[in-house]
Amino acid sequence: MIEVKNLTKSYGEINVLKEISTTIAPQEVVCIIGSSGSGKSTFLRCLNLLEEPTGGEIIVEDKNITDKNTNINKLRQQMGMVFQQFNLFPQKTVMENITLAPVKLKKKTKKQAKVMALELLKKVGLSDKADAYPANLSGGQQQRVAIARALAMEPHVMLFDEPTSALDPEMVGEVLRVMKQLAKEGMTMVIVTHEMGFAREVADRVIYIDGGRIIEEGKPQDLFSNPSHERTKAFLSKIL
Amino acid sequence: MGATVDVIKEAFPYLLQGLYMTIVISVVSIIISLVIGLIACFMRMSKYAILRYPAAIYVNLIRGTPILIQILFIYFGAPSVLDIQLSAFTAGLIAISLNIGAYNTEIFRGGIESISKGQMEAGRSLGFTYAQTMGYIVLPQAVRRMIPSFVNQLTHAIKDTSMLSVIGIAELTMVGQSIYAMNFKSFEILSMVAIMYFVTIYTVSLISTRLERRFVIS
Repeated sequence: MIEVKNLTKSYGEINVLKEISTTIAPQEVVCIIGSSGSGKSTFLRCLNLLEEPTGGEIIVEDKNITDKNTNINKLRQQMGMVFQQFNLFPQKTVMENITLAPVKLKKKTKKQAKVMALELLKKVGLSDKADAYPANLSGGQQQRVAIARALAMEPHVMLFDEPTSALDPEMVGEVLRVMKQLAKEGMTMVIVTHEMGFAREVADRVIYIDGGRIIEEGKPQDLFSNPSHERTKAFLSKIL
Repeated sequence: MGATVDVIKEAFPYLLQGLYMTIVISVVSIIISLVIGLIACFMRMSKYAILRYPAAIYVNLIRGTPILIQILFIYFGAPSVLDIQLSAFTAGLIAISLNIGAYNTEIFRGGIESISKGQMEAGRSLGFTYAQTMGYIVLPQAVRRMIPSFVNQLTHAIKDTSMLSVIGIAELTMVGQSIYAMNFKSFEILSMVAIMYFVTIYTVSLISTRLERRFVIS
């Protein structure tokens, strides 16, 4: 589904990502963990080119997205993204947030888009909030709307950039529940997260990144209970 | 006292015509200056130096010179070199539009940059192009924040048009000058002129306060 080959990213002299290679299979749920500044968010943002890679290749569904000729806008339609800060459009209602892209980009009629949006809102448990503005929603509700907005484009893969880090603790659960449901339905997901419990339960594979490199990756039970690398052990001992 | 009332009565219709000219030039030039400002703003924010530099030079040149010089330059200076003829009205309109446009450039830029980067990223991640994200998502939010500044610009435009008297446009100041040159009632006439400017600008501010309440959602 996604193949990353020797991905590097530098800002001037600073190398944020160093030769990262990995493959994400269809329907796989991959959690990326690591401390702040390790490069995990940058890695995720490279996958849909919100950050432009300095070197290496990223192949998404047989298309080399680092190639200048690839239509990145078309490609991003197939890759949903959820941000730490939700980034809902504040001047639009929940319904408008969700239907804007399908109507403008997928040429759906307003009616089709609305029907779909209501279904998605039901799925994330916010059927009654269609006409609310983002400012009137809690953080957890906003993030669930953001997930619905991304899903409305019917993406083949969902990228999550620390989706629960900006939330009050009591709202983390409702967002993780929606993500768990998505994973169950077979969505391909790449999730940068600090929620180790979630990673352990839902991920097919966990990748630990430190200093811009993949230090270790594997099944969650192996990586969490039996890390083979010293740095992974040190990191896990601090947070578990 | 009766004489003063007569002076006012006699001058008022002419001053009203002058005010009309002032308002026409202000409104037309504020509209042109918004277009100029939007274009120059995107040039200034472009990643291409060939677009960025001309816009930066334009903004700094206008901000760094008096508007009176700009008006004289466009009416007398430029046509003499370029071998063209501009009517005073056209030259005045160009001068005011270019002047206000430079300030609008910076207002647009500030407004757009005040919108969180996450909005652009959210739009792009859905598959919108840069231009679509600007048009559907960023600009509508930015413009709401800019409304007070643009109204402020309109009041500047109204006041700046008084400079156009130097190239003989019959706007409010020019008409006032012509009247007191004939009847020597400079105090009465200039008071009337000042009051007419004040009432016009104050009305604009009142309208803007209502607009703000309606459109500017924090």
